[in-house]
Amino acid sequence: MPQAKDVVVPVAVRNRSLLNADTVFKGLTVAAAVVVPIIIVGIFWELLSLSWPALMKFGWRFFVTEVWNPVTQQFGAASSIYGTIVSTLIAMVLAVPMSIVIALFLVELAPPPVSKVVGNLIELLAAIPSIIYGMWGLFIFAPFMATYVQPFLGKYLGFLPLFSGPPMGIGMLTAGIILAFMVLPFITSICRDVFALVPAVLKESGYGVGATTWEVTYKITIPYGIVGVLGGIFLGLGRALGETMAVTFVIGNTHKISLSLFAPGNSIASSLANEFAEATEPIYLSSLIALGLVLFIFTFLVQVISQIMLRRLYRGWSIKI
Amino acid sequence: MKPRPATGRRILNLLVNVVASLAASSGIIVLLWITIILAYKGIPALNLDFFLNLPTPPMIPGGGLANAILGTLLLTVLATVFAVPIGLLAGICLGEFGQQSKLADLCRFAANVLTGMPSIIVGIFVYGLLVLTMGNFSGLAGAVALAIIMLPVVARTTEDMLRLVPDPLRESALAMGAPRWKVTLLIVFRAARSGIITGVLLGVARVSGETAPLLFTALNSPYMMSSLLQPMPNLTVTIFNYAMSPYEDWQRLAWGASLLITAGVLVLNILARFIFGERKS
Amino acid sequence: MTAIRPQTKNAEPSLIKSAEIAEVIGKQQPHTEAKILTRHLNFFYGEHQALFDNNLEIATNRVTAIIGPSGCGKSTHIRVYNRIFELYGDQRATGEVFLDGQNILTPETDLLELRRRVGMIFQKPTPFPMSIYENIAFGLKLHYRLSKSEIADRVEDALRKAAIWEEVKDVLHKPGTALSGGQQQRLCIARAIVVAPEVLLMDEPCSAIDPIATNKIEELIHELKSSYTIAIVTHNMQQAARVSDYTAFFFEGKIIEFGTTKQIFTNPTNKQTEEYITGRFG
Repeated sequence: MPQAKDVVVPVAVRNRSLLNADTVFKGLTVAAAVVVPIIIVGIFWELLSLSWPALMKFGWRFFVTEVWNPVTQQFGAASSIYGTIVSTLIAMVLAVPMSIVIALFLVELAPPPVSKVVGNLIELLAAIPSIIYGMWGLFIFAPFMATYVQPFLGKYLGFLPLFSGPPMGIGMLTAGIILAFMVLPFITSICRDVFALVPAVLKESGYGVGATTWEVTYKITIPYGIVGVLGGIFLGLGRALGETMAVTFVIGNTHKISLSLFAPGNSIASSLANEFAEATEPIYLSSLIALGLVLFIFTFLVQVISQIMLRRLYRGWSIKI
Repeated sequence: MKPRPATGRRILNLLVNVVASLAASSGIIVLLWITIILAYKGIPALNLDFFLNLPTPPMIPGGGLANAILGTLLLTVLATVFAVPIGLLAGICLGEFGQQSKLADLCRFAANVLTGMPSIIVGIFVYGLLVLTMGNFSGLAGAVALAIIMLPVVARTTEDMLRLVPDPLRESALAMGAPRWKVTLLIVFRAARSGIITGVLLGVARVSGETAPLLFTALNSPYMMSSLLQPMPNLTVTIFNYAMSPYEDWQRLAWGASLLITAGVLVLNILARFIFGERKS
Repeated sequence: MTAIRPQTKNAEPSLIKSAEIAEVIGKQQPHTEAKILTRHLNFFYGEHQALFDNNLEIATNRVTAIIGPSGCGKSTHIRVYNRIFELYGDQRATGEVFLDGQNILTPETDLLELRRRVGMIFQKPTPFPMSIYENIAFGLKLHYRLSKSEIADRVEDALRKAAIWEEVKDVLHKPGTALSGGQQQRLCIARAIVVAPEVLLMDEPCSAIDPIATNKIEELIHELKSSYTIAIVTHNMQQAARVSDYTAFFFEGKIIEFGTTKQIFTNPTNKQTEEYITGRFG
C-alpha cells in the first residue's frame, strides 16, 4: 500500500519535485547518448597519439613504402593498404551481385514461407563469429580452394597474372571469398528492404507493360531504390575493410605486394591481430597502430557515406509516389 | 509494327532466376558447411575434461577450457552490465526526446558509425585508454571494449522499439498526470519490452563471439582468473592461439571451443528472433 | 459483324453462351463486337472470395465504365484482364476471360504479350525512376527491335496521342517524377499506348489528380476510344456518365446490372443500381 502521507503532500510541492525528477531523467539520457560521439572522438584521438611516433619518424612515406621489417625497424603501410583494398574488392565483386540476386529471390521469386526461412538463414550467416569463419577457412575452405578451385582457375585463366602461381589455398583470393560470404547478409538484408519498399503499384506498372521480373528489377526497382542499395553496399564495404579474424587466418600474413591473387598477403586488420603480441619495440607498436589509424579513417568515411545514403533512402520513401 | 519474339528476354529472365536461386543456396550451403564441420570436429572434443579442467601444455592429455568458458561468460556479463544501462538511456534520449534535435541526430549518426567500426579499432582504443594507463592487460579492459561494441546496438534497437510505441499511449499516461520518466520507464518500456530484449540479446550475441578487441585488452591466460585487473582467459582468443599452434590436441580443443561459442551465439540469435516474432504476431 | 467466337477447349457454339449471358446480365445486352468476354469469373484472395460468377462484355473501341461502391470488386475484376494479380501468390481466378476469343486464363497464355496487348493505367501515376523519354521508350524497347530514330518517332507519337507532347517536348530528359500529378498520369497513358496495345484498362485514373487535370484525361479518353478498347473503373458516377458508352454496376463482387450508359443512368432496371445511381448508398 502507498503510504498515506504520500497522498497528503501538497500538489504544488509534488509538481515541483516531479519537474525536477523529469529534468534529471532527461539529463541522464542525454548524457548517455553523448557518450557515443565522445567514444568516436576518443578513438580518433587515441589512435592519433599512439601512432604519432611512427608518423613523425617515417612521415608521409609511411603510406607508400612496402618495406615492413621489424629487424631493421623500417615500417611502411603500402602492402597492408594494398591487401586491405584488394581483399575487400574481391569480396565486393562477389558479394554485391550475389546480394542483389538473393534479395530478388527473397522478394520476387520465392513463395513467402520459403522466403522467410531462406532470409533468416542468410541472416544467420552474419551471426557466426568472425573467428569461426577463420577456423573453417584455414582448415576446410583453404584446402578446398587449393585442391579444386585454384587449379581450375589456374588452368583456364592462368595466363592472367591474377591467377598465376602455385595453388596454396592460403592467400588473397581465399580471404576475399570468405569476406564475401561474411558481408553478404548485410547487403542482402538492405537490398531486401529496398525491394520490398518499392511501391507495389510501380512494379505492377512495369509488369503491366509486359516486362519480366528481371526487367522490372533491373530497370525499375533498383533505380528506384538505388540510394538504399548503394548505402547497403557501403555498409558491407565498411565491414569487409575492418574484418579481422577470418582474414588473419587465411590471408597468409606476408608484407609483400604481389599481383597474383593466389599469393599470400596481409591486410591492416590482419597485421594488427597477428603482430601485436610481437611488437615489443615502441616504434613497431606505433607503426602497427598507425595502420589502425588508416583503417579507422577508411571505415569512418565509408560509414559516413553509407549513413548519408541510407538516411536519404528512408526519408525519401514517404514523399515519393 | 510487329512485336519481336520475347524468347531472348524470357531466357535472360529464367537465367537470372536460376542464378538467384543458386546464390541463395550458396549462402545456405556455406552456413550448413560451417555448422556441420563444427559439429563434426567439435563434438568429439566436448567431454567432461573440456568443461572441468584447466588447459594443459601440449601433448599432455586431460586439458580443458574451464577457465576460458568462465572467462568468456564473465566478460560477456560484465560488458552487458556496462553497456545495457547506458545503451537504454541513450536509446530513450534518441527515441523519446530526440525526434527533432540536432544533438540527437549527431548521436544517432555516431551510434550507426560506431556499429560499423571494426572491433579491432575499439580494441586499440581501450588498449590506449586502460591497458597502457593501468599498466597491464586486464579482464576489465576486455569487458569495456566489448561494452563499447555493444552500446550502439542496444541504443539503436531501443530507439527503434520506442518509436514503434504509438503516441496515444504516452499521451494518455501523461494526461493522467504521470511524470515523463514514469511514463517512459513504466508504460512505454513495457510496451516495447520484447523488442528491447531482442536488441540486448543481439548485442550479447555479437560481443560473445568477438576476438579481435580482446587481443588488445583481456589477452588470454592459461590459469583460472583471480582478478579483473589481470589478463582474463577466454574462448575466442584461446581458439586463435590453439588453432595457430601445431599441436593436434590444442587444435581439437579449438574446435570444441568453436562449436561451443557458435552454438551459444546462434541460440541467442534464434532466441532473439523468436521473442521478436512473438511480439509481432 | 459476327458475334464473338470464343475458342474454348470444349468448343461449344459461342452463340448459345452469348444467349446465356444475355439472360444473366439483363435483357438489354449491347449488340456490338466484344473485345473481352468474361464468363463465370470467380476471384479469391486466399480463402476470401471477392468476385462471384462475373459475366461481362467489353465492346471493341468503346469505353466501358465499371462502377460500384468501394470494395465491390471493380478493380479486382479488371486486374484479371492482364493477369497482374498473379504477382501475389495467394490470389487466384477461376472461369474464363476471352480476349479476341482466346481464353487468357489458361497456362499457355503468353503473359508478356498479353500485357503488351492489354495496357493498364493505375490509380496513382507511376512514373518509372528514369527520364520522361525513357519512361515511354521502356516498353517499346522491350517488345520491338527498332532503330534509335524509330524509337524517337514512336515516343513522340505516343506523347502526342496522350496530349502531353507540347508540355514535355523540351524536358524529355528530366525525370518523370518532375512532372505534376496530372501530367504524370498522361505520361503513364503515353507509356501504355506506345507499345500499340488493343485494350486500355484504367483503374480509377483520376482519383489522385485535380479536377482540371481530370478534365484533360476525360477528353483524352474520348480521343483514344477510336483506336482502343477501354475499360475504366471509377467511383465517380458523373465521370462514368460523361466518358463511357457502356456501364456495369458491381456490388459485393457481383455484376448487378450491365447496359448502355444511357440506359443505366436513365432507366436502371435493378433497384440497387437505381439506389446507387441516385446516391442513396455507396
